Amino acid sequence: MSGQTLFTAPPKTKNPLLAALLSLIIPGAGQLYLGARNVALAIFATTVVLAFLIWFTLENFRVGQIEIGGVETSWLWLLFAAFWLWNVFDAYQRARGKTTSRLLSFGIPILLIYIIAWQVTDANFPRLVTRFNDVKIIFDALLHPDLFTRDTETQQGATTIWIPCSNPPQTTPPGGNSGLPVGVDKVCGTVGDPLAMAGRGFKPNTTGNIYWQEYGGTNEAQVRSGGQPVVVTTDANGNFVTSFDIPAFAGRDGLDPNAPTVQGIQARFVQEVGAIRPSENFHVLIGSIQQVPAPEWMVSLGIRSPDDTVPRFVPGGIFVTIGLGLMATLISIVIAAPLSFFGARNVMARVRGGTIIYYIARGIFNIVRSIDTLIWAIILVTWTGLGAFTGLLALSIHSIAAIAKLYSEEVEHTDPGPVEATTAAGGNLLQNIRFALIPQIIPSFLAYSLLRWDINMRSATVVGFVSAAGIGFYIVESIRKGGYHEYAAALWCIAIVVLIVDYLSAYWREQIVKNENKISTEPPKPFYKTRRGIFYTILFILVFIASWNLAQIDLSKLLEPAPTFASVIYDFVTVDLSIPVWEQIVRQMLVTIFQALLATTLGAILALPFAFLAAKNITGRSPRTRWIYYAARFILSFLRSIEAILYVAIFVFWVGIGAFAGMLALSVTTFGLIGKLFSEAVENIEEGPVEALTATGANRLQSIAFAIVPQIVPPFISYAIYQWDINIRLATIIGLAGGGGIGQLFANYTGQLQYHKAGAVILAIVVVVTMMDFASAKIRERLV
Amino acid sequence: MLRIEHLTKVFPNGTVALKDVSFQVPDGEFLAVIGLSGSGKSTLLRCINRLIEPTSGKIIWNDVDITALSQAEMRNVRRQIGFIFQQFNLVKRSSVITNVLTGRLGYVGTVQSLAHYFSKQDTERALNNLDRLGLREKAYVRADSLSGGQQQRVAIARALMQEPKMILADEPVASLDPVLSHSILKYLEQLNKEDELTVLCSLHFLDLVHRYATHAIALKDGQVVFQGLPQEIDDAQFKAIYGQDAQRVSII
Ligand SMILES: Nc1ncnc2c1ncn2[C@@H]1O[C@H](COP(=O)(O)OP(=O)(O)OP(=O)(O)O)[C@@H](O)[C@H]1O
Ligand SMILES: [Mg+2]
Repeated sequence: MSGQTLFTAPPKTKNPLLAALLSLIIPGAGQLYLGARNVALAIFATTVVLAFLIWFTLENFRVGQIEIGGVETSWLWLLFAAFWLWNVFDAYQRARGKTTSRLLSFGIPILLIYIIAWQVTDANFPRLVTRFNDVKIIFDALLHPDLFTRDTETQQGATTIWIPCSNPPQTTPPGGNSGLPVGVDKVCGTVGDPLAMAGRGFKPNTTGNIYWQEYGGTNEAQVRSGGQPVVVTTDANGNFVTSFDIPAFAGRDGLDPNAPTVQGIQARFVQEVGAIRPSENFHVLIGSIQQVPAPEWMVSLGIRSPDDTVPRFVPGGIFVTIGLGLMATLISIVIAAPLSFFGARNVMARVRGGTIIYYIARGIFNIVRSIDTLIWAIILVTWTGLGAFTGLLALSIHSIAAIAKLYSEEVEHTDPGPVEATTAAGGNLLQNIRFALIPQIIPSFLAYSLLRWDINMRSATVVGFVSAAGIGFYIVESIRKGGYHEYAAALWCIAIVVLIVDYLSAYWREQIVKNENKISTEPPKPFYKTRRGIFYTILFILVFIASWNLAQIDLSKLLEPAPTFASVIYDFVTVDLSIPVWEQIVRQMLVTIFQALLATTLGAILALPFAFLAAKNITGRSPRTRWIYYAARFILSFLRSIEAILYVAIFVFWVGIGAFAGMLALSVTTFGLIGKLFSEAVENIEEGPVEALTATGANRLQSIAFAIVPQIVPPFISYAIYQWDINIRLATIIGLAGGGGIGQLFANYTGQLQYHKAGAVILAIVVVVTMMDFASAKIRERLV
Repeated sequence: MLRIEHLTKVFPNGTVALKDVSFQVPDGEFLAVIGLSGSGKSTLLRCINRLIEPTSGKIIWNDVDITALSQAEMRNVRRQIGFIFQQFNLVKRSSVITNVLTGRLGYVGTVQSLAHYFSKQDTERALNNLDRLGLREKAYVRADSLSGGQQQRVAIARALMQEPKMILADEPVASLDPVLSHSILKYLEQLNKEDELTVLCSLHFLDLVHRYATHAIALKDGQVVFQGLPQEIDDAQFKAIYGQDAQRVSII
């Protein structure tokens, strides 16, 4: 049966029962028989994919496992059968010129996929609630980042007591009071006895705590009552009274009435005094001013003698990160700009053999950029070792490929007319590029470079996870030590820096689009002779030198790879394609893909109401609601300014290590990113249709349903798919921080020096990311 | 003297744009090329300086067979032939003077020009050419801030920088309104008369042909269907060139 003749055959000859029968035997065959080739293909592919997923996840994750007569199977086959039956019904109806429910056709596969995704990523939302108390510590830390501190002043008064009472009880207290006058209502007592305490002479209206102390020793315990620390408050005269039970701590040496011990009870009032000043952690994160020996140039100019010291700013972790972001952007611009011409079809068409070069260039760009910066960093560590320089290389490599692709597309979008004109005037290839192409692409190149700076800045905050330098490393260390206040401080620093870069990048891009056009009759002064030009040149040089130093650029390292480097690269290239490895990879890849799917769904659902709150045309117009607009925007910007992998620590603490934590971390960033995209879609709503409907007498709800919803649903879906694509890229690395998925597998393999297998993981990542990229672009094209 | 002999162009997709076209253009002539849209006018003009590679046939200019030249030799020929485009083809974001200076690219060294270095004389010459076209004071504004007619004058100034012996103009006035059309064609006429440049110019309107051209050739489906003086195009000829349903229209 050739498709050709079936296609042209008149519809009367189609037999509904035959169509149904065909589809019953092979899903989609009936539809193919009826000439609906795309539908047939889609149905067949869906059936195959679903069958694979149900089988594979039953074997590997015990998804939907049930036992029927001693045979283990998955109840999801029921849903699968429902889809199969729908396909039969669809073929039957189609042959009779009728349609079937779309809800079923899309609903069953989607339902199946979400059920599987839920189980594979180990989603356990109740844990978010049941473990909420534990995670309060982190939220508290987030609100109190360790950046600033104040000096403290301590007031204390201590008294003593016999533990336990002897027989007969002591009549005089042990004595040995110290500090301000305090006293208790007993001379002796045992664990659990109620005790009243009073004191005077303290600062009025302040609070303090009670400590039980080993007399003459250093051990002490804070006195608690009902689990909470006892808090005492002084009155207006500086007196206090309180009562509590003698704590168990008092009996740690035993309670022998024949050998009572003297124990201390201290009231301690610690107060913050003086000005707020940067904490120790502030210096580590941001920097400090230190006295260093005078630099050579000062000595040689005679400004300072060799023994002098001069104050110098010693930059902290965040500056290393800023330097990395800047330097990586600069390097990638310089290298990607010329490379991009090899990836431009219109330029390569003018060179012999250019088309082949074009495909090679584009292929390399796509492969390199589908491997995340962090994975590059892991690979590069084997070459240049740990340190900021490796981070810089990883950032640069990924960035070169990403930006070269964008540049290439921009070169392809240029107007061929000017090139024709310079050719006609006798220009050669280089001259044509210089005079007819470059002036056309400069604005978009600049805009993309600025955008990339923003992206690189974000990546630079996490590259330290691997390369052990910059703020990412600091975060790893603080999490390891359980220093959540330090972790919080780092997050705040990152958010502030990224928000500033985000703003600057957007502002400058806007300026480029405005492209001011000055009218003058004089030839313009060359850039380097104008005052602005000189200022920017000097600024650029200073920033460049600073970044160079911060990134610890050491080109000699490139020439002195670690001794094992060659064998490592060999291992990476000769990938291990054996079945057990692939089973592992498919398994973890599914986790990654489903993590991305669920995170996108969760983030999008949460972002939906937020998008309206953060849309200028909804909340931004009226002065009464404008604060909502700004607050919503700020929350979105703040959340997306921090890379998903940095959130993983919070969720690992909350719900435990694994795919669920990674998924949640991902959904926080997704929320920020997609919320912004959604709100822009809302802002782009045209008022016209709303007005038209209102004019016909529709009420508010009706006009929302018929004029607004149709306008925002396609962009929302399109953005969600785009976000899924991005999330798969992000999900590939989330495992490096304990978030499960393919990243974790990669980290395990490299950690065990199994580079053959790690190479296979990279191969899988490249394939999946590229396919998703392609598919998402195609689907979005269709939607718009 | 420009001699076109049996010129044929078949595009890779199989379109035969020119079919065995032969004609001669003596030096100093103003030749109008007319014909319907799609008849092959642009293809013909672009073949002459090999912006399009001809499939077969010869183009002999001053006894040199252009079709047989190497790419490097072709640059030398191209710089002697100014080309003027319907869409002006200026680099919109560059200044007017930079656009004009690109007309010198065939003369200056690659390295020099890549550094945007042009000699004093070249800059001087650029300003003079702009002066001649009444655009001296626009030299340092960006090209996209000019009107269409001004942009086409910049394009002429750019062609003049080549010190051309011949000018090929592909519908130079098709994007302009009638008044501007005359001003642009007058400049071409001036170059033809005063500087004695050969001009090949494709045109849409017959009255422009009558007014400016010394000779005319007409193309139809890639073949020459008329050769001679503009006055010789009578109604029968007109119908042969433009089809039975065509009406004569005039602009101003
Ligand atoms: N690059 C190309 N590839 C394929 N066919 C082409 C190409 N350029 C032109 N053609 C075809 O060659 C024929 C002649 O085109 P040409 O542009 O020379 O016509 P024209 O007379 O200049 O028309 P117009 O008045 O519309 O500019 C047309 O059928 C056109 O479709
Ligand atoms: Mg044309």
